[in-house]
Amino acid sequence: VAPARKRRRRHRSPTRRAENRLAFFLLLPAVAIYGAFMLAPFAASIYYSLTDWDGVEKVKHFVGIDNFTAMLHDPRVSGALLHNLVFVVAGTLLTMSIGVLLAVLLWGQPAFGSFYRLVFFIPFTLPVIVVGIVWSWIYNPLFGSLNSGLGSVGLTSLEKGWLGDAGTALPSLVVAQTWALVGFVVVIVLAGLQNVDPDLVDASQIDGARWINRLKDVILPQIAPVITMVTALIISFGFQTFDIVFVTTNGGPGTSTEVLGTYAYHAAFRQNEVGYGTALSLVMTVLSIAAAVGFVGIRDRQHRHG
Amino acid sequence: MASTGAGARRRRVRSPRRLAVAAGRQAILIAVAAIFLFPILLIISTALKSPIDALLDPFGVFTSWHPANFVDAWTLGGFGHYFWTTVEITLPTVGLVVAVSVPAGYALARLHVPGRRSLYYLFIAGLMVPFFAVMIPLFYELKGMGLIGSIWGVILPGVAGVQGFGIPLGVFLMRSFFVDLPDELSEAARIDGSSELSVFLRIMLPLSWPGVSILVVFVFFQSWNTFLLPLLYLPGAEHQTLATGVYEFSTGRTRETALLAAGALIMIVPVLLVFLAFQRRVVRGMLAGAVKG
Repeated sequence: VAPARKRRRRHRSPTRRAENRLAFFLLLPAVAIYGAFMLAPFAASIYYSLTDWDGVEKVKHFVGIDNFTAMLHDPRVSGALLHNLVFVVAGTLLTMSIGVLLAVLLWGQPAFGSFYRLVFFIPFTLPVIVVGIVWSWIYNPLFGSLNSGLGSVGLTSLEKGWLGDAGTALPSLVVAQTWALVGFVVVIVLAGLQNVDPDLVDASQIDGARWINRLKDVILPQIAPVITMVTALIISFGFQTFDIVFVTTNGGPGTSTEVLGTYAYHAAFRQNEVGYGTALSLVMTVLSIAAAVGFVGIRDRQHRHG
Repeated sequence: MASTGAGARRRRVRSPRRLAVAAGRQAILIAVAAIFLFPILLIISTALKSPIDALLDPFGVFTSWHPANFVDAWTLGGFGHYFWTTVEITLPTVGLVVAVSVPAGYALARLHVPGRRSLYYLFIAGLMVPFFAVMIPLFYELKGMGLIGSIWGVILPGVAGVQGFGIPLGVFLMRSFFVDLPDELSEAARIDGSSELSVFLRIMLPLSWPGVSILVVFVFFQSWNTFLLPLLYLPGAEHQTLATGVYEFSTGRTRETALLAAGALIMIVPVLLVFLAFQRRVVRGMLAGAVKG
């Protein structure tokens, strides 16, 4: 009741018009920049995707949803989508399981805990370009640390050019991406764990519940909202994968690591298929948002029923 | 409270089973930490290689000591130039995001604005929109404005938040910050006859630094590390940033790995220093974003 009364009083006040004018000037710069460089190109994206523009012609020919139907018959699209799904599914599972495990290990202040947390988080602060470069050194066929490590334990037969081999390039990139993202999960989940009641966990320990059950039944349900949000973010990162592929394999060898992002880039900026490239990036946008929102929705329903 | 906590911890350590658990935990943590640190040590060791060692064993860890690489990377490698270009882009980006988000966040939190709620959602929707949704048309828009090849072609989209953060994060953080400030502060000033503008400038603005500092750190990270914006909108050799400079160097014909590693370190160190200085704030900001957003 109180806030409503206050608002009504404000309405009648003589300073109301001054307030409106001030609000206008305070909002104007943000609205102008955001509108010009975010909303306008987003609207243009939808328009471009309905044309067959090549980036040069004066006129943009309207082709309806042709670009989108063409995708259904484009084997590079299904291939790229599959690679995105590998990043989404394998990448998310790896990142989340390692991240949650490390966070739980760091929970309850073990010795050197803040040092470990820092070490796990540093990769996340690195620019992706540097992540790509250092991992391509590790995977280097001639001098790479992975091959020399395998050689030194007698597994010479497993040595290979990890990023140059169509069979190993994609999993190798997923590992590099996981290294870069785990710290993000650790820090967020660890912060979520600060709100977990330690007494509950101790009680279950007396019951003799095994460690993994304790994690699954007592700890994780309490930080479920945090886990859901982080997972949704990692899923949408998976659909938006670009930099790590672009700077290491650029989609190769062949198209074995091509994702929707790199394909859209090549279509628009290398092959002048601006309309098609824009349509591809819109599909990617929709997939990444829908997957994240859908995941949150499913988790919500589980919680209400479970 | 503190003494019981310490007592509990001491008791825990004494039990042999607890001790075994703690040791096992440390063993796992050390092993994983070693794996996580290795790529970073690899960059440092490669950056310190003498020219001969870099040819014979470029990725052997700490096999030579040649710190002059940093000087060469800064001068011959062009990373000094890339560094200053990155500064020229990052500072205005951070400054502009703060300068426009703080007033906008304040207006959306504290002032009567018609359609205030929809406007707020329109802003934070930008946090969900990936760069690809605007990447291609933005190129032609900037080209039409004559901004391709100018640092403003990277700054303005960065401020708008096309690669994440930017104005959407700024409005989100600052609005939630101003919403949480108690009403009594501004009401008292209004009763004293202060105008709305002076309530904002004299009472609210000085209180906003905790929120602003989180925003500064996040936008700094984003802007410093951004790769696609300069790659697409800032072509040409004269305006390379550290990100595009490192990329060009790694794909170029010169295979001077040691200089590349030194350049990568020149790029990373400012980020790490800022992170170390603001660690707590970064974590708090990320948590706020992950839980609310």
